[in-house]
Amino acid sequence: MSPDRNPQAQQLPSKRKLLTASGIALLVATVVLFTAVLPAEYGIDPLGTGAALGLMSLSTAASAPEIAVPTPGEAAAATPVQEGPIAHYAAEYKFDTTEFVLGPYEYLEYKYHLENGASMLYSWTASSNLIHDMHGERDGGPSGVAESFDKRSKRQDHGTFTAPFSGIHGWFWENPGGETVNVKLTTAGFYTSAMEFRFDRTRRPHELTALDAVTASRKIVPAAPVP
Amino acid sequence: MMRRAMILGTLMIAFLGVTLLSAHDEFRVIGTITKLQDSKLEVKTKEGKTISIAMKKDTLVYRDKQKVAATELKVGRTVVVDALGDSIDELLALEVNIVPAIVPSPVK
Repeated sequence: MSPDRNPQAQQLPSKRKLLTASGIALLVATVVLFTAVLPAEYGIDPLGTGAALGLMSLSTAASAPEIAVPTPGEAAAATPVQEGPIAHYAAEYKFDTTEFVLGPYEYLEYKYHLENGASMLYSWTASSNLIHDMHGERDGGPSGVAESFDKRSKRQDHGTFTAPFSGIHGWFWENPGGETVNVKLTTAGFYTSAMEFRFDRTRRPHELTALDAVTASRKIVPAAPVP
Repeated sequence: MMRRAMILGTLMIAFLGVTLLSAHDEFRVIGTITKLQDSKLEVKTKEGKTISIAMKKDTLVYRDKQKVAATELKVGRTVVVDALGDSIDELLALEVNIVPAIVPSPVK
């Protein structure tokens, strides 16, 4: 049957019209992508329209601040070189101690950036039982996709952790009850940065203590010689 | 030529779709219901901020870990809302938990 004899075929748009319509749709989508979507969602503003339309603040509100990704030099210094049972690092370990207050039903995450194979020691205690999940997110992995290592309710935990991949690693603590809970965490390890993520999407980077600062605060008294 | 244009168009639409979908973040809102209207819930937080949250038909409502009807949501009740959105001002409730009223902790 030729197209001329088919009444339905006569109502269909021609290939040329379809191409034109697709082209226009593509053009509009591209314009919207570069003028609105990229500036508003990712802070990428190649045409300056994000700044002109006031869209840039949307991206900063949604994403800032991100956990600091180490520079290549920092990453190399925090990557262990295994020699038998010993892991050698090019930099000293860091120290961190912090306390959190979890209001009723609130949750937070606290994570360190560790290179693959890097270790840390940790101890945390809470004033009441918490929903707990120790987990990690891979560098460059999809946002919000985490791998759990220990997912049990508990009130305290003390241990050592060796990162199974480069990324951010730490704890999710949720207060399941109507009373305020205090959490105290102390760690030491070969991490490069720390970030607190709250239930209301607020984020707060924590400053880590260098080993020099810890030792400088303690006066070392030489032991008296044994007679 | 046309096939190429169609593939390019489809990829562009898929990219835009992924871009828009990936924009949603998870939020938790804890507070007291101050207003219930159609499919909207207004919750006043302990910080005094009133947050408007859209509800959908399949938004889950729980009380004491048991699923209950949305009619259990009433002004004055304390709720914990887990929601998705681009910002705190544009939220869609996934789950609403009705919890006992929160008694403010004494100042230490």
